[in-house]
Amino acid sequence: MSEQFSRRDFLKLAGVGAATTAVLTGCGPASRYVKREPYMEMPEYTYNGQSTYYATTCRECAAGCGLVVRTYQGRAIKTEGNASHPLNLGKTCARGQATLQGLYNPDRVQEPSTGDWDAAIQVVADALKNNQPGEIAFLMGMAPDHLFDLVSDLAGATGMNAPVRFGALGMFEARATLSKAAENLFGEAALPYFDVGGAQVVLSFGANFLETWLSPVSYTRGFAGLREAQTKQRGTLVQFEARMSATAGKADEWVPLRPGTESLVALAIGRLAAEMRGGVMPRAFSGVDVLDAASKSGVKVETLQHIAEMFANSAGALAIPGGAALGQSNGLEVAEAVLALNALADNFGKPGGVYLSALAPNQAEYHRPASAKEMQEFVQRMTRGDFKVLFIHGVNPVFELPKSIDFKSALSGVGQVISFATFPDETAAEADHVFPDHHGLESWGYQRVVTGTAQPVLSGAQPVVSPFYNTRATADVLIAAAQLAGGRFAQALPFKDEVEFLQSKVALLMGEADGSFVAPEILTFMAYFQQHGGWWKNSDGRGAPDTASALNRNINGSMAEFAGDGEFFFVPFVSTTLAEAGANKPWLQELPDPTTTVMWNTWLEMNPKTAHELHIENDDVVRVVSEAGAVELPVYLYPAIRPDTVAMPFGQGHTAYGRYAENRGVNPNDLLGQHFNEAGDLAFAGMKVRIEKTGRKQNLSRLESMMGVYGEGMGEEH
Amino acid sequence: MIKRLFDWLKQPLGLIAVGIGFLALFSLAAYGLYTTQQSPEQPIQFPHQTHVAFGIQCLYCHPGASRGPAAGLPSQATCWGCHEQIQKTYNPDSELRFLLAAVQNNEPLQWVPVAMVPDFVQFNHRAHVAAGRNCEECHGDMSRVIIAENPQVMNMGWCLTCHIDAAGDDQEKLIKLSDCGTCHY
Repeated sequence: MSEQFSRRDFLKLAGVGAATTAVLTGCGPASRYVKREPYMEMPEYTYNGQSTYYATTCRECAAGCGLVVRTYQGRAIKTEGNASHPLNLGKTCARGQATLQGLYNPDRVQEPSTGDWDAAIQVVADALKNNQPGEIAFLMGMAPDHLFDLVSDLAGATGMNAPVRFGALGMFEARATLSKAAENLFGEAALPYFDVGGAQVVLSFGANFLETWLSPVSYTRGFAGLREAQTKQRGTLVQFEARMSATAGKADEWVPLRPGTESLVALAIGRLAAEMRGGVMPRAFSGVDVLDAASKSGVKVETLQHIAEMFANSAGALAIPGGAALGQSNGLEVAEAVLALNALADNFGKPGGVYLSALAPNQAEYHRPASAKEMQEFVQRMTRGDFKVLFIHGVNPVFELPKSIDFKSALSGVGQVISFATFPDETAAEADHVFPDHHGLESWGYQRVVTGTAQPVLSGAQPVVSPFYNTRATADVLIAAAQLAGGRFAQALPFKDEVEFLQSKVALLMGEADGSFVAPEILTFMAYFQQHGGWWKNSDGRGAPDTASALNRNINGSMAEFAGDGEFFFVPFVSTTLAEAGANKPWLQELPDPTTTVMWNTWLEMNPKTAHELHIENDDVVRVVSEAGAVELPVYLYPAIRPDTVAMPFGQGHTAYGRYAENRGVNPNDLLGQHFNEAGDLAFAGMKVRIEKTGRKQNLSRLESMMGVYGEGMGEEH
Repeated sequence: MIKRLFDWLKQPLGLIAVGIGFLALFSLAAYGLYTTQQSPEQPIQFPHQTHVAFGIQCLYCHPGASRGPAAGLPSQATCWGCHEQIQKTYNPDSELRFLLAAVQNNEPLQWVPVAMVPDFVQFNHRAHVAAGRNCEECHGDMSRVIIAENPQVMNMGWCLTCHIDAAGDDQEKLIKLSDCGTCHY
């Protein structure tokens, strides 16, 4: 036997032995190591062994989708969309699905930094009482929710600074530019609503509405309508942008124009379409030279002509401005030029056209989040020492604002910084105190739906599980602190707790007509509010913009100005899955980017042709230098980007925020300078960068196979 | 180096070493398998037999079995409903001190699951109760055990055997009960 016992046999035997051991020991039910905790007291509506479902609102972004969360014996098990909710009709995005990983995240802030809540409330009460009202500021997340109302009431009654809302999504969506353009054209600073579902031809200038833009779940539903359902005919999407986003990947046509020429292209298409229609040339398009626009933008005249033809001949033509197209020095002009196309198509207030978004039932007017310019001014006030106390909730500006605005240093100009963060994020790390709020699935509340549905919606939130840790609702902390501070503060918030405050606000809806339900008194009304996941009107609450002036405006087609002396246009885009706050959830880290399939990292998208000229290969680490800073990251050769452009996703590069997010990838915000457009939005797509080789390599983890991509792994280098 | 090792392994002493190594691996595997089949340690060594002897029905504590997929665990309030009136509960030496402490501290007891199927198997108690199966057919005679045990090796063969038996000569039923999608969906 010993003669036949080869090395190979030995290895086989050893392998089989090891595998057997592993399999047999691993066969035991892994769940056995998960302990089961029964209820202490079974809630009366719960049956033993059966799940209980709660309707609430997703807090992962500011869109305000309705969720139904399945719980079992007091634990949240699964989130799904609320099928009755007018905004998302039962759907969610990946971030909504992953919200459970925020709830169970091991890195949550588990107790107030003071140790116990009595001391914490005393700290807040002292901060309110011992400072002049004008020296107290609130910085909040983008969602217009009940806490924003509570703080607004408090500020209004005591003379404190009105709360400021900010979020990186709002900055990258250029919301301020969109609403400013609406104000210029329609006379109302509202947020336009684009009825993609009812349209036939959609021209999108930089709006990545299938990914993160405004209300991605609702717009994705609209896109499904465009493709088949609503018009019985397959609609067409044309996407204009320098790199192919996932939205452009779904489009029928992707037009990679030169960054900064969006307004020229929009005006040229408008002019050509107007010519085809005949009649008087509208003033908005009269100033543009089509040949000049074509040569500057790098889009062929034939392409412009055929798109204009499609646009002019369609009964349901729609044009959408958004994202990087507006985040440039001439962003406002781009938004106006694109909205003027809609005026040409005469689609204002018609199915498949442009509306003004429905206001939520308890909302008097659209209140947009702060633009980057306003945040810059806020930071300047912080630096000057205008604020003795700064409260921060629901936003992480150290990470979300460009590094050049330097929120972090400005914090040292503030006497006392109190953070209500759920996670130990970059901003909380700089705060004097962290008084953790509950996770969204442990919280009460409501949130206004700003856009994405025809109906006015107030989305309701309720705890689906008991809080896991020693956290407390920020509204409760503020109410208790105001009572303790006494005087005007106590008068402003005369409530027992957060729920009583919510009731006082929701009660106002009881008298409103045309609601999704009615109830004779507040307790029943609140019960329905929780059961349904909010209250909405059954009628269409959208407004029709006034088209009179839209075509008669003088729009000068100009090219954007770029900052910096690099040779590449720099396009930061928001990661579909990670965005401003998703990086601490492994499910989202593990989810491949829809276009590149890269996971767990940041990459620089570069055209293979450019890379070849620079002798850069896949996974080579390069240094990207802008006028504001530099970062190092690996290159991903991406054929669907212009050779003169590089792009980088926003979502990674955290220096805090828990074990899954920390020290992973880089933040494109580090490269952004302080340049703003006329509406005050950051010209984040108006930077030029330089690329330097470092000689290092870092393999990107990706789902796609490298084999066969540009000849890689097939024995030939190019 | 490796060549010398293999030369040595071919010697009688080396073969014995290989044999010992193999036996060690095998024992480890056997032990691993054995441990997966043992009843786990529980916070209270809950005497099922005593409760059965008092005539308490399975469904009194696990009513989920007749209503849905999971039988569920009784809330501590269910335990306490009887036990607060029983003298023995307050005996500091009995196992019940854990229940007493849990109720007093308002902390749930942490039970360890005994009968588990993997996540890719959808087991619904309700259908089985509705088909007239008794709890003990799968879970064993609880009047004989302290901690719940798992008398069956719960694998697919065991499930299928029962399903096929239950179908008998009824072809339609057989197709339904042996369809993959019955349990894997």
